[in-house]
Amino acid sequence: MELLGLALALLGAALAGGLAGVGSAIGTGIAGESAAGVMSEDPGKFAKCLMLQVLPGTQGFYGFIIVFMVINKLQLYSTPLIISWTQGLMIFAACMPVALACWVSGIFQGKTSAAAIQMISKKPEASGKALILPAIVETYAVLSLVTSMFLLLGIQLG
Amino acid sequence: MGVAELKKVELYYHKSVQENVARILQRSGACQIIESEETGPRPAEVDARLTTCEEQETHIRYLFRALGSHYKDPVSSIDRLLGEKPSLSLEELAQIAQETDLKELASSVKTTETKLNELRIETAQLKTNAGILSKIRGFPHPLSVLGEGTRTLKGVLGTLSTAQANTLKEDLAAYSDDTEFFVAPRNSKDKEAWVVILYARAREQEVLELCVRDGMTIVELPPSISGTVARESAKISDRLAEHERQESQLLGDLAQTADEWMPAVQGLSDYWGILHDRYHALAASDATGSTTRTRFWIPTEALPNLQKQVEAVGPAVAFAVSDPTKEDHPPTLLKNNAFNRPVEALTNLYSPPVYGHLDPTSPMAPFFFLFFGMCLGDAGYAVVMASILWLLFRKYRKMPASTKNFMRLFYAGAVATFLYGLVTGSFFGDFIDAFPFMAFLRPLKEALLIVDPLKNPVAILGLSLLLGVVHLMFGLSVAAYDEFRKSNYADAVGGKISWILFVVGILFVGGGSMLPLFFYVIGIGMAVAGAGLIFWYAGREEKNIFLKVGLGLYALYGSTAYLGDILSYSRLLALGLGSAVIGSVINLLGKMIAGVPFVGWVLAIFVILGGHVFSLAINLLGAFVHAMRLQYVEFFSKFYSGDGAAFSPLTFQTQYVDVFDEI
Repeated sequence: MELLGLALALLGAALAGGLAGVGSAIGTGIAGESAAGVMSEDPGKFAKCLMLQVLPGTQGFYGFIIVFMVINKLQLYSTPLIISWTQGLMIFAACMPVALACWVSGIFQGKTSAAAIQMISKKPEASGKALILPAIVETYAVLSLVTSMFLLLGIQLG
Repeated sequence: MGVAELKKVELYYHKSVQENVARILQRSGACQIIESEETGPRPAEVDARLTTCEEQETHIRYLFRALGSHYKDPVSSIDRLLGEKPSLSLEELAQIAQETDLKELASSVKTTETKLNELRIETAQLKTNAGILSKIRGFPHPLSVLGEGTRTLKGVLGTLSTAQANTLKEDLAAYSDDTEFFVAPRNSKDKEAWVVILYARAREQEVLELCVRDGMTIVELPPSISGTVARESAKISDRLAEHERQESQLLGDLAQTADEWMPAVQGLSDYWGILHDRYHALAASDATGSTTRTRFWIPTEALPNLQKQVEAVGPAVAFAVSDPTKEDHPPTLLKNNAFNRPVEALTNLYSPPVYGHLDPTSPMAPFFFLFFGMCLGDAGYAVVMASILWLLFRKYRKMPASTKNFMRLFYAGAVATFLYGLVTGSFFGDFIDAFPFMAFLRPLKEALLIVDPLKNPVAILGLSLLLGVVHLMFGLSVAAYDEFRKSNYADAVGGKISWILFVVGILFVGGGSMLPLFFYVIGIGMAVAGAGLIFWYAGREEKNIFLKVGLGLYALYGSTAYLGDILSYSRLLALGLGSAVIGSVINLLGKMIAGVPFVGWVLAIFVILGGHVFSLAINLLGAFVHAMRLQYVEFFSKFYSGDGAAFSPLTFQTQYVDVFDEI
């Protein structure tokens, strides 16, 4: 049972990386469908559509940053720290904000991106505004990243 | 900071000089025509000219569609976008227009296209027939027996499932013995059988009924196919070969026509577009008898030059210049110095200011570059970006001004990124520390390093939030300045300065332990004064004392929005850290792969190069969008609403050639 702490910490990191990736995958997928529809009418909008499609892709990276920080904290690639199960649970908890907020915000940012892509197909001159709408959703992914980061930094091991 | 001053001009001229005047207005590129609201008579001949333009443009659209796919454009579309276009004068284009009969060209291309289409339809039919024949290979009799038959005999061709084929065969045998049943050879996998049934003409009705009852689908061959299967197949393949030859010849013709004519058609597309715009401007003017009046907006500084040129046309022109009145809705032309000009693109992307209002470009510029730098935050990426832009600027000398400005925006962003990367020690992530061969740069890195965001993110978070406060307070100051300028003193003090006092005061109190006591005392004073002003301002027009208090408290509750706004700047930390971490992970992967025997270092180079290109692309987009968002959402909401219309003058709008005009 002495590895329980480590296992809990890794479970948290895996959820952070995994769920955030799921959010981004669904989000970029939804936006991509919309982009393909618009580009079938006007292939010239590729650059604008692509920019909007990749916006929900950042959540996956936010999750990844937390995974990296957990790996660093546990010194997983040299000699892994043996931590207590309460410490493991703390790291697990610290990973949750990113896991949950990036998962859900990725999906909803994808939907907003898809709508924004439809918007530039009708009003190409409004592409600046179209870029801002999905970026509003991202705020909460960013906040969750900062939250997880500071929770992780606050946990003292050893 | 500025919105250029515009004048409203009413230009009167005799119809004999209308062509010249319109040409000068268009060449100047400084006049936005005001469409006439009156439905009076239009200037002479304009309708006929417009019709000509539209006719020519119809031919050009057709030619683009028909020849476009056969034309290998020597100028790539990226080159064209960046300004690599042949340069032609309006006279040269007019010459080309005279020498090129677009209608004739379009109809000759149309003839070829029709031929090609007919040929393709026939080819498709031949292929269908060839397919059917290949199914009944081995049928021994001439196929004329299926169409007209002989005096006593007739046949029918069809398909049905293999099981049904056997049923049908038995049914026919039971019904009569003067039918012949041919089943084409087939693979064991085929589910369909092709059959031919020969029967006595007299029994046609009954045999066909039987066939249909057993589920046979009758297939008809054209009567022209009358010989044996082998002979007819050979004939068809000969014809297909002939068709193929003809088709490639027609395609060759089209490609040749495209090569020969497309450059002219492209030039003419721009030429007729320019004339269309010009006559459209004339059509938007008013005319009475022999006098035409065109109204337009023009930047004040461009007016004298235009006046001189127009008056040189002859005595029959008159200018009436006036300032915009309250009823007018003049367009907005931004005018900024060289440092701020690239940022105009961002203002226009949001929405230009209403004429005469504040231009947010110069207040936004320094913050945009700073935030962009913090979000991308890597000296290595900045070097790559700047090098690419430098190469583009060198290669494309004739870049359109708008494209150039947009690229300059990133150029300046790259400079900010480089500086921020230096002080945070980020060069392609931790490239310098990760690889021993970079060790020579380590002392330099250490010397410039002020704070490492990976080791001390709290410091960067503090910096981000502090910058947020500065940014927001600056926005409020600009708003207060704007209100003072318009003499709205109550709005300036109650609506803007009050919030500065309140927010800054609260922060001084909150930062009590870190700041000298002096700030604490000042902070309390500022917060109380600010709150008082906010309270007073919100309820000042309300008589009812309870409503007055309610409105005041509600306004104070609005301070939560400032909390949200300030926290939003934490993205500066998150995105900057994102670039650094992703860069470091790519280096780590590279190092791990480099350990693979023999080919490791080759793979490592691929991973590191590809990884950093990808990381640059994704972080660049993030930095741009989020630096922009902080302006649009947090900053603009304090003082700027946009709602103006951009100045769009009558000018030479071209896609394929650069047009210049010398009179």
